[in-house]
Formats: sequence, C-alpha cells, structure tokens
Amino acid sequence: MVSPRSPIQNALQAAGAVFGEHSGVTAVTDFGAPIGEAAAARRLGLADLSPLPRVGFRGPGARDWLTAQGVELPDEPNQARTQTDGAIAITRSWTEVLVLGRIQEADSLCARLAAGAADAHCARAYSLPRFDGMFWFALTGASAADCLAKLCGVDMREPAFPVGSVAQTSLARLNAVIVHVDVGEAPLFHLLGDSASADYAWTSLLDAMQEFGGRPVGLRVLHALAREFK
Amino acid sequence: MKIMPCPLNGPRNIQEFTCGGEVVAPPDPDRADAAAWADYLFLHHNAAGIVREWWYHVPTSFWFIADRNTVTDEIVRTFLPRELFGADARPDHP
Amino acid sequence: MRERLSPPAGSRIDRSRPVAFEFEGRAFTGYAGDTIASALAANGAWCLSRSFKLHRPRGSFGFAGDEAGALVQLESEPNVQADTRAVEPGLRVQAQNTVGGLERDQAALLGRFERFLPVGFYYKAFYKPRGVWNWWEKIIRRTAGLGRVDRSWTPEYFDKAYAHCDVAVIGGGAAGLAAAAACGDQGLDVLLIEREPELGGWLTYGRRKSADRTLDDLRRRVQALTSVRVMTSATCTGWYADNWLAVSQGNRLHKVRARAVIACTGGTSQPAVFRNNDLPGIVSAAAAQRLIRHYGVRPGLRAVVLTTGDEGYAAALDLAEHGTDVAAVVDCRPDPPAGPMASQAEARGHRILSGHTVREARRDSQRLQIGGVLVTRVTGPGACAADGEELDCDLLVVAAGVAPAGGLLAQAGAKFRPSGRGAVPRLESLPAHAYAAGVAAGASTVEEALAQGEQAGLAAAADLSGSAAAAPAIAARPAAAEPTVSWPVFPHPDGHEFVDLDEDVTVREIEDALAEGYEDIELLKRYSTVGMGPSQGRLSAIATAAVTAAAQDSTAAAVGATTNRPPSVPTRFGLFAGRGFQPVRHTPMQGWHVDAGAQMMTAGLWMRPAYYGPPEKRADAIADEVLAVRRAVGLIDVSTLGGFEIRGPDALEFLERAYTPSFRRLRVGRTRYALLTDEQGVVVDDGVAARQGPDHYYVTASTSGAEQLYPLLLWYQAQWQLDVDIADVTSAYGAINIAGPQARRVLEKLGIDIGLSPEACPYLAARTGKLAGVDVRLLRIGFVGELGYEIHPPASQSLGLWQALIDAGRDYGIRPFGVEAQRVLRLEKGHVIVTQDTDGLTHPHEVDLGWALGRRKPFFVGKRSIEILREKGLSRRLVGYAVPDRRAAVPDEGHLVVRDGEITGRVTSSAWSPVLDQAIGLAYVAPDQAEVGSVITIKAARGRLVEAEVVRLPFYDPENLRQAI
Repeated sequence: MVSPRSPIQNALQAAGAVFGEHSGVTAVTDFGAPIGEAAAARRLGLADLSPLPRVGFRGPGARDWLTAQGVELPDEPNQARTQTDGAIAITRSWTEVLVLGRIQEADSLCARLAAGAADAHCARAYSLPRFDGMFWFALTGASAADCLAKLCGVDMREPAFPVGSVAQTSLARLNAVIVHVDVGEAPLFHLLGDSASADYAWTSLLDAMQEFGGRPVGLRVLHALAREFK
Repeated sequence: MKIMPCPLNGPRNIQEFTCGGEVVAPPDPDRADAAAWADYLFLHHNAAGIVREWWYHVPTSFWFIADRNTVTDEIVRTFLPRELFGADARPDHP
Repeated sequence: MRERLSPPAGSRIDRSRPVAFEFEGRAFTGYAGDTIASALAANGAWCLSRSFKLHRPRGSFGFAGDEAGALVQLESEPNVQADTRAVEPGLRVQAQNTVGGLERDQAALLGRFERFLPVGFYYKAFYKPRGVWNWWEKIIRRTAGLGRVDRSWTPEYFDKAYAHCDVAVIGGGAAGLAAAAACGDQGLDVLLIEREPELGGWLTYGRRKSADRTLDDLRRRVQALTSVRVMTSATCTGWYADNWLAVSQGNRLHKVRARAVIACTGGTSQPAVFRNNDLPGIVSAAAAQRLIRHYGVRPGLRAVVLTTGDEGYAAALDLAEHGTDVAAVVDCRPDPPAGPMASQAEARGHRILSGHTVREARRDSQRLQIGGVLVTRVTGPGACAADGEELDCDLLVVAAGVAPAGGLLAQAGAKFRPSGRGAVPRLESLPAHAYAAGVAAGASTVEEALAQGEQAGLAAAADLSGSAAAAPAIAARPAAAEPTVSWPVFPHPDGHEFVDLDEDVTVREIEDALAEGYEDIELLKRYSTVGMGPSQGRLSAIATAAVTAAAQDSTAAAVGATTNRPPSVPTRFGLFAGRGFQPVRHTPMQGWHVDAGAQMMTAGLWMRPAYYGPPEKRADAIADEVLAVRRAVGLIDVSTLGGFEIRGPDALEFLERAYTPSFRRLRVGRTRYALLTDEQGVVVDDGVAARQGPDHYYVTASTSGAEQLYPLLLWYQAQWQLDVDIADVTSAYGAINIAGPQARRVLEKLGIDIGLSPEACPYLAARTGKLAGVDVRLLRIGFVGELGYEIHPPASQSLGLWQALIDAGRDYGIRPFGVEAQRVLRLEKGHVIVTQDTDGLTHPHEVDLGWALGRRKPFFVGKRSIEILREKGLSRRLVGYAVPDRRAAVPDEGHLVVRDGEITGRVTSSAWSPVLDQAIGLAYVAPDQAEVGSVITIKAARGRLVEAEVVRLPFYDPENLRQAI
C-alpha cells in the first residue's frame, strides 16, 4: 500500500514532527512541544496542511457545475467563501475554482467533487489535480502579515487585505495563492503553490519567520484555534 | 517599480508580468508572399505613442492586452483578449 | 578628551558612557551618541582623509554624511561616512586614500604633479604611446579607489522587505512632521522616513528662541497618531515609477509602495569657492551648529564666519554663546539688509565686514587644518581685491546658502530651475501624487516650512480621497529670500579653489573643459568628473552652474542640471545583494536520490540525478547504468517532464494548430510524437501526446521547455478562443521511466491491472490502471530504445511507487540511472534533444523531422515558415557520426566540423558508447557531407583533427526491434 506523502515530508521529519490522525488523514500533530506551539500559533506559526484534501475545477461550465453540487461561490475572482461545512471555495478566475477541504473535521466535499470529475468533464468543468500539484501551508499569528511582507509585494495587512481576500501573486518568487481566512483574533493565511517547490517555500518561510520568533506548528494547535473561534 | 493594472488581479507590481510583444494580426499564411510573411515575423513597428501589447500575469498564467504609451510609459487601458479575438475573430483556417 | 560644552548642548551624546576607539592607531575617547567625526572634532582632529586625486588633507564640510572627505576605513568595511556613523567601543578607524598614513601621506607628492593631471586626464594621459596603459594601470589601481575590501570579513545577513502606506513622507524635519501630522489627522496610513536617528531636522540644531516648543509639539502630535509609522536612521535612496521608494535601514532594504509621497528632504548647505576652500576646519554653519547642539563640541577657539545671508550671523551668535571667539563676520553682500540675526550680531558688537569675502584660506603651520584667512573686498561678481586683511583662526564657518535637496524629487519627475539670474534651483513642477514641502520646496523659515508641510499633507489627503480640489502643491517662495549676490565663487590666479571637493575639480578645470568644447552640462560632468563623487553634485552643482554661466555669459537656468539617478546616496552592496529568492523544484524522489548517492545537477529550476556514485567514479557509474538498461532493467526519474491536460470539444483542433503532426487519426489509448515549432518554423520543443479520451489529451513536454511552453500554449488559446482548457499538471504527476529487457517482468511482479502483453499493450500504447495499488497513467514509450514504460503516478505517491519498483526489480538487476546515462542511451538511438541538438534557427528538415509534419493540415504554427525555408534549400543537416579510430580523441559538444580550413558545422552531442565501444555523436554538417559514408573532420581539443564517418541512425538496434518486444 503506497500512501500519499506531503511534499515536505523529509523536512517535517527532520524538524521532529510527530504524526497522527487528523480529519481523516495522517498529518503533523505537533513538533514535540505542544505547549509552546499554542503561543507560537498566536505569534507566528507555520503548519503543513498538504495531506488535507483539495481539488480544482476550471472551464466554462465550472461555476454552474459546482453550484449544482451545492458549493457556494463568491461572485468575483480572487475571493474566498467558507462553506457551511467549513470547506473554502476560492475563485481563481471567472472560470476556475479551488476548493479546500475543511480542516476541523474529515472532509466530505472534496471527495464528493473529485468523484464527480467525469460528470463535470461532460459539463465542461475540468478537474484539476491540486492535491498533488500544490502544497498547502497555513501561516497564523499576529505577525503573519509582517512576515509575508518580506516575501511578497502585495499588502497583506488589514484593511487592505480583509478576511475573504485572495491574492494570486509571487511569494519568494514562487507563484502562490494566498487566502486570508477568519479564525478569531489572530489572522490565518492559507498559502498554496507548486508542490515541486514545497521544500523551497517551507525553508523560505521559516527563514523569514525567524525575526518574529515564528516556528512550525502542528494541526493540534490549528484545531484548537479553529474551535476557539467557533 | 511600475504598477500594471491587471484585468484579473487588479494593480500589481510590473515584476509579476512579462510582456509578450505587440499585438500584430498575422497575414493569411496561405496567401501572403514570402516577403510579406517575413515582414510580419521579423519587422516590428516600435512606434512612439500608444501601442497595443500582450501582457502575461505569471502567477495566474493569464494573458491580457494593454494599450501603453511608449513615450510616457503610461498604461492607458487593459482588457481581455476576447475583446479582440472573440468567437468571430478566429483565424480563417478551419 | 577636551572639555565638552555643558547641556543643553550635546543633545545626542550620553556623557555617562565614554567610548574608546582608535583613529590612525591613536586612542581617542568620545561618548555614546557621537559620530566618528564628532568624536574626533571634540578632540580637535578635523582631518579625516586625503583627497582622491591630489591627496590633499580633507575633513567633513557639512557633517551631514554627504562628502568623500569624510569617508573612512573600518576594519571590515570601507567607505564609511565618518560624519554619520556612530562611534562604537573598540572601533578601529583608518583614514582612506593615504600611502603611509594621514599625517605623512607619501602620495601627497602627487599634488606637485598637478599640472600633469589636467582636466580629463583620465582620457588623455594614459593612451599614448601605445602600451603605456599597461604601465599606468598598476599604479592607478594602487592609488585610486577609496577603501580597502577585507577579504576575511564575517558575512552579515542583509535582506529586503516590502512596505505599503497611503502617504510616505520623506524627511522628518519641521515640514515632514507637519505633513505627516496633517495626513495622520485624516486617518491616512503614513510612513515617515527620517535618515537621522531622531526626528526634527533643523529644529534639533538650528538657532531658536529658548522658549520655542515647536519641536516638542510636533513630535508629540505625530507620536499620538497611531496611523503614523516612524522610521528613523532610514534613508530613501531612490524614488521610482508609481511612487516606489527604496529605503535602506540597517541591513534591510525596504521597498515602499505609497499612494502619495511628500518630499520634505530639506537642503544642503553649500560651500563657497575660494583658494584652499578644502582645508579641514572649514565647515558649514549648519555643521557648526550640529557640533554644538547635537554633540556638545565647541567647534573652534577662534572663528571667522563667511556669509551671504542672515544664517551666518545666527551661527556667529551661536559660536560666541558657546565659547568660540568670533574674529569677524565676513558678508559678501555690499549692503546687507538688516535681518534679525544680523541686527542681533551688530547689537552684540560683532565685527562685521560687509562687501568682503575670504580670498584664500591658509593652512596651520603645525596641523592638517586651517590656520587663517585672507579677507579682501569684493570688487564685482566673482572678483575680489588681491590685498586685504589676514585673520588667524582655527575655524571658518561658511554660510553660503542652502540648496534644496531635490535629487529624489527629480528622480520622480519633478522639475527644478533657477529663476532669473539666480543660481539656486527652484521647484517648478511636480508629477502626479507627489508633493513637496519645506526647504526642498523653497521654504526659508520654519514657519513657512510648517505651513507648507500642513498644506502638502492636506493636498495629498484630498488627492487620495479623490476630491478634485487638491491644493496647489508648490508654495510660492517669497521674493525677499532670493539671493542678492552672485554665488560666492572667487577664482584665484594660483588655483586650488575647489568646485567639487569629492573629485578635486577646480574652477580652472571647469573653464578648461568648457574651452575644449564640453559645453553641455552632462558632457562637462563626465569629462571633468564634477559631480561624480559620493555627494553626486549636492555640494557642487550650483557652483558648477555658476562657473559655467559666467564663462558662457549665460544664466544658470540656461546651463541646466545633470540627470539625477538612484541611488542618491552611497548604498552598501549588501543591501542590493541581500537575500534574493531563487526557487528550486524537487521531484518527489529528491530525498531518495540524495540518499542513494546521486550527484545532483540543475535542469532549469529542477534538481536531477546526473548519475549515482562518487564523482571520481563518474565514467564507470555512467557506463554501468547504460549497460544495466541495455542488459537488464533501469529506472529513471523523469518527473521533471512537463505535463499538460488538453480537454474540451476543441481539444483536437487545438493540438492540430499548435503542434506540427496531425492527431486526427490518433485513437484513444494511443500516443504520438508531438513536435512544436514557433511562427518562424524553428523547433522549440517536443513531447508525446496521449489520447486519454475522446476530447482529452495528455501531452508531455521537455524538462527545459515546459516552463516556457505553457505560456506559449495559453497565448495561442488567447488568440484562437477555442472551446478547450489547457492545464499544467507537471507537478501533480511524478514520472518514472522503467526501461530494459526485464521491465515488463518487474511491473508484473509488482502487481498491475493493465495487460502488458505486446498485443494488449503494444509500443506507443497509453493506458490507465493500478500499479501496486496506485492509479497511474502508463505510456509505452521510451527514449532509450529498450522495452520501456513511462509511468505517471500522482506526485504524492510517486516516491512510494519508485521504492516499490526498486524492491520488485532487485531480482532482475534493476538500477536507477541518471541524466548522463540517459543522454548516452538516447544518443545510441539517435534521438534529438531539443535545445541541445537544435538551436535558435533549427527547422524540422535540418534535423530529419520532416516526417513529424502534418503536411496535409491546413494550418499549424510554423507551417508557412517551414515551407519557405524548405524552398530555399537546406544550408546544413544534423547527422550521426562514428569515430572509427578507437584511440582518437573523443570530440566534445561544440567542437567544429571543418573542411579545407572552413567551418561547415559543429558537434551537438557526443559520447563514448559502452555498447558500441566507440565514440559516437550528432553534428551539423554541410548538406553535401550528409550522405552515409561521408568522412568528416572534427577539430577536437587542442586542435587535434579527428576523422569521423557519417553513419545511418540509429547507431544501436537500427530495426528498432528491442523497444517493440
């Protein structure tokens, strides 16, 4: 049995990651010091969400087909809408949508959408393999916007980049999708980009985080943040 | 750094884009003589004034067209290729 | 250490923290908060360096970080501005540009050869007779240049960050503080950038009434505004398009984007031009006041003040009140108007010599600094009497006016011009979303600066809120502040009246350059080097314009000014070189390769295994890998191949237009070679198209080509507007090529639900199914000429599958192979690698790819050009060659094919084939050399000529039986 691996599996292991079952997949629980991580997540934390499901659709029929599947879409490109189950629908253009599975509990939406890919193809909504093609990190904490300012030319501070905003831009010269979501006090940015460059992105982010005392965090802390917000 | 108003992503640093050169309508490849074809391929107008150019936003792999004044470097307008190359604008070869 | 002045003088120093340091090997003590130059001045040491060309003693004139004279050497940092760099405990400072020390600079003899160093000597002296440059170069390299690079330095971390704001205010003096406060009051996000360690500018050192609360009020107002961010010790070095500012602070370069910018950059105190005006101890009025108020330094015991306005009197009053004996105030104006400071000075009984100037300064007999001045009567514009009064002094304070610091504004597109017969540039116009206030905009009093700042702030706020009535940005300058005399430039028959202290340019040199015809200000600059030093003309441009205007009987306005370019102040290389970003792409198997001892190489942004094994066994490793594929089975990671999904009703139509072959008859489950040419008919990439479904194709692209190919395909689609979607799935799929006679057995052992028999899965078939439980796309293709399968699993499962294949193949002698072995294997099969065997002109017929052209297609990109090129006839052809002599040198890629002393082609690929046991390769040759059996000559390394025979391709397995089994 060959199970999926995060594109930064080696880096995670080298950093002392403890793996466990989260939201139906195997992902990083913590990095061995769960107590410090909670504080780090509020200050500046970086989590690897790559093992969690995500899927993309593009084509003239993509919006209609997804709407028919019950996905609520933002009206304009470069916006994110949180679904009732916690998943996030991101419009990457007028005809492309990226769906991120919810992080609080096991995904159901992405699996359902992926299973309908053949049907979608007939409706000219072509599925895009974003699980394998893109890494998915989450950057949390009060210093997140300042940290991103070292890597990215788009202003990520409130009110320039409010919750629900999406920027597709260059992050450390890497093409990336940056999504600002609401988890209460501290901002959280989802970062997605070319999975082959995941090692590079992870290293670049950790380097930029250093001056703020940032560190990698696991899903346990992220879940706690999300629960608090609920 | 200059700002390019992208029709999809809004104003962005010009560093996020590459220029694809002037929008030039190719002559009919079946009817154009070799000289006219070479003119299309190799001779560029390089006009001083407002020119129509292809631009590509790299992070979204998005092509669009910009009217830019080459004298002042002012970007007058940006728009989708569809406006010039709509369904009716397909080249005349099946 | 000499006694410092008592507080409130010395606002920046902490008298409780002495700082010991060294200058030129001598011990000095300053205080925390001192600059290197202020601490030295406190000890009576004015001379900091020798000048660049003539090795004359120099110090700082302005104490504001502008001049070459204040550049010093730290242990591991050259060209440090001594008048702004804070002194630190244990700092070892050396003077620059000396041979054997500041006091006894042997190179000072150069000054005696001055007449041999005329203007433009760079362009004149070193070229004749022929060859003399080689001799001069060594001397110039040793004596020229400024500091010394320490090659054993400890690396430091430099980086960059973006910053955003509504309004950036450059300069935190009176005008800047007022502007920032005005914008902040409107709720705008303001970034206030101040190059000094504290806000306030002139207010921190200028002469004010003792009860004046202006500075405290302004600072408090700005600090109370949360929307105003203050950056101190931060220098704006460039103002680029769309209000993009470069701001250096410490080891970080901030790239600031502002919606509007207000320049409150202040001004630069100007020197006067007279004989020996470069002596250490000649300082600006502002410098004297900085020394007193910032550092508590009494600048001299006995001073002469030379002035052209009221500010000289203020300096005289300050000096007198702080214990300096003021010998005289020399005022160039014949009938000075009664300014407030002049009146005070007169009332206090200062000796005032109006209508006079300093004709020349004299060096102290003991020390490297000023010892006295000759004061004479002004007799006309730029002229003064030869005889006058000698005055002894250890300080000459010059108040020759302040020029607006307009360099940054000019970069942004603002226009400056002197008015009438004046020499001082005045702001004329501003570009959109740019504002100016304070001295830079022509203000001459604090009240004016404050009003302008407030006004500019409100104007910027109105601009950003979109209200039409933006206030006028340029304040009218009151006529009373116009200079009333010619610029104080007094040429001397014996010279040494320096227009540019950085570059040792004198009045006569400017005049000579003009006489030689370098009349345009830009040419004059380059020829004479005036304005080319670190101060970039801030202290010399006005005098240059004045001298030029006088020589041409013109006006400074007509002379014009040189173009301002960033960086406007010297900037450390670290700030530019600091932390850049260079993305790297890893295949899912990267870690495995490294663990297996692979030598990794870059291929575009990717890392790929070149071969497995230590570098000293490179050749053996490659040969073993080749033989493993030919005799057993090999495995190569080809995840770097591009992968595109072409889907939709017009998918076929898109392929037909974009690629050269026809895909109309390609059935689902089959693959076809996909060649791509550009509009000029040049081969740009190749890959394989697999038909996955009726309107679904999966097309691969070369590792090097994929990144450029995707935008190209999308560009076609932008014009064609077909009903098709093109998706780049390169990173979503890993790719593993398993090749060799045992390949099928390995897959079967691993467990696959796809029938692999030659009938069920023939050569060129495309299948999908499960291999070891993983969903894969399986293409029966190969580049190496053996039974082979290209397996495309999801990226996240690729490593697992790779490991499973290695495990399953162990019994069959499986071996991973790298790019080097693959190059040999494909060469044995005569396959062309696009961009290695093709160049920017190669069209398909030159490389025998005519068969890949869909000739009956009505259109494909490049078709018309290929037809034209074909009609013209071939000028070269790519052929396979073999070297019969096994002891001959193996040619290298790039070696030339020669005939009768003429070049007819070149080698594009070359290798020693372990299977054929001889050197083989591909080469371009003349068309008449392309026949099989022709003998060609290759000029190999060290000019050795190698005979090679043109042979039929492929070299190996010519019937292509092995890949079809």
